[in-house]
Amino acid sequence: MNGMNHDISIRIDGHSVPARPGESVLDVARRAGAHVPTLCHDPRLEPAAVCRSCLVEIEGQARLQPACSFQASPGLVVRTDSPRVRKHRQVLASLYMADHRLADGLPQRSPAGSSLRGFAKAAGPLIQLHPVHSPRAGRPGDHNPYIGFDPGLCILCARCTRYCDQVHGAGAIALAERGRATTVSTNGGAGLLHSSCELCGGCVDTCPTGAMFDKKPSHHLPGQLRRVRTTCGFCGVGCQLDLNVKGGRVIKVTAPAPGQTINDGNLCVKGRFAYDFIHHQDRLTQPMLRDGDGRLRPSTWPRALERVATGLKRVQERWGSGALGFVSSSRCTSEENYLLQKLARAVFGTNNCHQCAAT
Amino acid sequence: MERKNATREQVLLLLEQAGELSPALVRQVERQTGVPEAEIWGTARFYSLLSERSAALLLCRGLTCKLAGSRQLAAHLEQRGEPYRSVSCLGQCDRAPVALDQDLLVRHGRARGAVSPDDPDLPINLAGQDDASFAALHRARQLGPSAVLDTIEASGLQGRGGAGFPAHAKWRAVRAQASPLRHVVCNADEGEPGTFKDREIALRRPYRLIEGLAIAAWTVGAGTIHIFVRGEFPRVRAGLEQAIAAVGEALSGLDFRFVAGHGAYICGEETALIQAMEGRRGTPRIKPPFPTQVGLHGQPTLVHNVETLACLPSILLRGGEWFRAQGRTEPGSKLYCVTGHVHRPGVYELPLGVTLDDLVDQAGGYVGSPRAFCPGGASSGFLPMSMRDRPLDFQGLARIGSMLGSAGVVVMNDTVNMAQAALQQSIFFEDESCGQCAPCRIGTQVLRQALARFLAEGSPGALNGLDSVSWEMEQASLCGLGMVASRPYTSARRYFPGDFQPASSPEVS
Repeated sequence: MNGMNHDISIRIDGHSVPARPGESVLDVARRAGAHVPTLCHDPRLEPAAVCRSCLVEIEGQARLQPACSFQASPGLVVRTDSPRVRKHRQVLASLYMADHRLADGLPQRSPAGSSLRGFAKAAGPLIQLHPVHSPRAGRPGDHNPYIGFDPGLCILCARCTRYCDQVHGAGAIALAERGRATTVSTNGGAGLLHSSCELCGGCVDTCPTGAMFDKKPSHHLPGQLRRVRTTCGFCGVGCQLDLNVKGGRVIKVTAPAPGQTINDGNLCVKGRFAYDFIHHQDRLTQPMLRDGDGRLRPSTWPRALERVATGLKRVQERWGSGALGFVSSSRCTSEENYLLQKLARAVFGTNNCHQCAAT
Repeated sequence: MERKNATREQVLLLLEQAGELSPALVRQVERQTGVPEAEIWGTARFYSLLSERSAALLLCRGLTCKLAGSRQLAAHLEQRGEPYRSVSCLGQCDRAPVALDQDLLVRHGRARGAVSPDDPDLPINLAGQDDASFAALHRARQLGPSAVLDTIEASGLQGRGGAGFPAHAKWRAVRAQASPLRHVVCNADEGEPGTFKDREIALRRPYRLIEGLAIAAWTVGAGTIHIFVRGEFPRVRAGLEQAIAAVGEALSGLDFRFVAGHGAYICGEETALIQAMEGRRGTPRIKPPFPTQVGLHGQPTLVHNVETLACLPSILLRGGEWFRAQGRTEPGSKLYCVTGHVHRPGVYELPLGVTLDDLVDQAGGYVGSPRAFCPGGASSGFLPMSMRDRPLDFQGLARIGSMLGSAGVVVMNDTVNMAQAALQQSIFFEDESCGQCAPCRIGTQVLRQALARFLAEGSPGALNGLDSVSWEMEQASLCGLGMVASRPYTSARRYFPGDFQPASSPEVS
């Protein structure tokens, strides 16, 4: 098997667990079934180790170490559930609760948005600290239609900014200010429409608290929506997406978790936000044929295809194959593009075929 | 994502030269450097000298300036109609209370502090005549790198920036790296409240520092020497530049580059310093890897404090054993800064491991009846006078949960309420936390807020939970700042419990 020769083992909570050298302690621990909470971790991003929730005890290390960035090496001894680690999680969660609201009772505005709540609940009884009021600035004048930012929920894990930079490559948002005032900002706090943001919504997807949220559906609580996995129809890449459905209507679109599908949890603005057409009254849902007086009337697929075939043959007979051209849509898959050029070349005898994304 | 071939390291310099920060300026710098505008904005807003430019004076609110009467200075400025802004420690503690003008020069402050009298047997000897002969560099070249390393090891030289790490181990780690591109970085971002020794070295003995840098660079095989100077020290940089320009052949083959700090205490931490040099927010990196392995631009980098480097020439000329013998409990001499309630604040070069009483003897004695002291700036917390005969050294102080750090000793007499003093230091750490990791970002706020509430209301209930919060900050923060930021509170509470009883809140003078 690939890499078998380099396999090592490390000890996690007393059990010997196989690992690859250089693999993160977090990955190994989770594979072994150990519970290691994370907030700033996203497998698509370089580890940042800033949320501190994944700290574990590692023998030989005086300080607690972040499992997300600490690398496995032969003989490493890790404890993920010692009294020290448990106390750490309890106090850390108490600190988070002193500075951050939970999205409890709020609509589910981002898919991973309950991570902080989960961390706090698992950390046990919290220490009651006086709330602090960090002056994190939001972007109240941001009128983009899709992505909102609620600084009160933000824990500065920087998943959104790192996603924007490392995965999407847009670099539209970054951490700004320092210390208690640290926040997520564009240049000068301008709205996203005035930035290099492409409104992909990856920041919303990766946010562990709901601070980055989808502005569109705002009245559904977690658990009210049914997810239906489908393939995005906007282009031929084949991104998988989840339609969040209620009462037969698509309420919103989310991306499957990273690592599960070809798009690794990423979507673009069309796949994630351009779903209003689904239930739009002007949407074409059946073939339409123009009748003698020029009006469009509903028809059937066999009749519509027959009309197309007749028209194409008429042009070929009158003007020759060279008068025909076939252009396929970038929404088509490779297989559909193949079929279209086959239709052009083998059936109609012309090389006039093109795909609109080819230039 | 930055453009290919982006010149990120230019970002801070371009912003500094351009003046007032604005989104339009940021767009211009994006075009010049290829770094996305949001990142430029976010980076600029990290640094107080870039984000808060105004004609107002900068009034130091550090502990030493408070003890020396910064409140009266503020009242004086208000009376004269001079606008001012209170800022974290300005590194002029010997001149406290201090206000800087727009060009970051001292507008209000006392005369510069004292230094030890000229004595050629002192390894650094601040008061001596600076010497541009580069005899020690020649000596190093004669000895060869391996003998130089042995000499440094024999000297027992520990890093003087605060951690006290053996210098030779860092040098050997850099030399062991495969990369032919290596850097030496001089950390002159002196910012620990109560500390101003590096400033004095650079101003009084620039050649000692430059020679130390040349020896280090030659030994570890680095071609480029970067000098990162605290932004609030414009005269230090000008002096060093002048000194380097005046040297001819002796430094050939070495490329000296200056980088200015822009107002962030955290950049004294070596990985944050590297971040700043690369044009990024000064947020510390996760270690390992250490800068000796993955440093500036990902290349092996030797980062040393000014004082560490300034020790090198005499070590090379007089031998490792000689230097080692200059110390009392640990090797070498040490520059101790002393301020607060002493008669002659200043920088005194004494055997490493002297006691507080020895040091204050040099500084003309105590003012009033001494009560407490910080052995090494804000980071070391407070110690009671019962510790006045403890050696001020790295290991001994670490054993009692304090630290020598940068040896910025601040003395407080019995007019000082220690809860108030702890609040003062907590304000500093809250302002200077980079905000990256939660224990430090939130913990510093919780601490400051609780202390302020306790002092305002006199009810110890305001301090509930702080022991756990302090523990968490020490255990779980990403870098050293968060680890020590609770020490002023924990040490004040441990050694001065009386000041945390109900309704005990006389103001600090």
